[in-house]
Amino acid sequence: MHELGVVIKVAKTVENFAKVNGITDIDTIVLQIGQLSSMIPRYIEACYPAAVHGTILENTKLQIEVLPANGMCGNCGKVFNLIENKYCCPYCSGEDIELLSGKEFMIKEIIAC
Amino acid sequence: MKEFKILEIKESIFEDNNKQADLLRGELKNNKTFLLNLMSAPGSGKTTTVLKTIEALKNDMRIGVMEADIDSDVDAYAVAQTGTKVIQLHTGGMCHLDADMTKQGLEGLGTENLDFIILENVGNLVCPAEFDTGASKNAMILSVPEGDDKPLKYPLMFSIVDVLLINKIDALDYFDFDLEAVVERAKKLNPNIKIIPISARTGEGIDEWANWIRAEVRNWQE
Repeated sequence: MHELGVVIKVAKTVENFAKVNGITDIDTIVLQIGQLSSMIPRYIEACYPAAVHGTILENTKLQIEVLPANGMCGNCGKVFNLIENKYCCPYCSGEDIELLSGKEFMIKEIIAC
Repeated sequence: MKEFKILEIKESIFEDNNKQADLLRGELKNNKTFLLNLMSAPGSGKTTTVLKTIEALKNDMRIGVMEADIDSDVDAYAVAQTGTKVIQLHTGGMCHLDADMTKQGLEGLGTENLDFIILENVGNLVCPAEFDTGASKNAMILSVPEGDDKPLKYPLMFSIVDVLLINKIDALDYFDFDLEAVVERAKKLNPNIKIIPISARTGEGIDEWANWIRAEVRNWQE
């Protein structure tokens, strides 16, 4: 369970962003989390209220977009979902795969004024 | 009615840590201090391996140790008995160290006049693999009783380390541990991985491990 420390970092980053850009009223934070990231959306949501307690993010809403674990087959060049296909190309059974997405943990945007 | 708008931030939280880790690596390179991030599961023999490593290298270089744990100072106490400079870091419940915590630890330890620092990371095969600490090189220990299926279960850890120490090989006869299978599985994830079977208890393989460190420290200081 390492989500709490990471969410505290998210809160600090957004606080900084708000300060620099003169934002005082934040409604929603949107995170992007890759399927292969070790961050579990359910746990992020669970610890979010504690992580933002006492900051300008208290009472803000959290939205999470999950990014797929996609890879490109080094043999046939086709793109497929790694988890659904167990890291094996469904078109040619190739196992030499280049990871395209899925490890992200990003603060995408905030909705604020 | 307030008017809300969408403001793009597009900041990767891991990216931020990666940047700090690169900065730290640069500082260490300038100071000619080689930092080794040593990771493993709890009970793999990390501290015993650290003690053997100190014994093998203490006449060749000036060594420091950072012990990271969620709580307690038993590991730091054991290392301090050898006369080595040591600092205990408490992660306060966190399951890994990031570059920021490593930097604070190095400041507490003091890197002046140290050639080689071992960072004994929190015992865990999952989270430490995700966070670059700023170390010069990464090593992990897998011990025989843990089983030969671990590269299959924790692929990220095996794919990011430079060295894999397979510890407790003096106990190979008592476990169904297929050494060749581990080597094959680890190489599939990480073709450049260096694998050294050791026994921190009997000292077997420690010479090869110490030689690897000597060569890496020399490279780093050039």
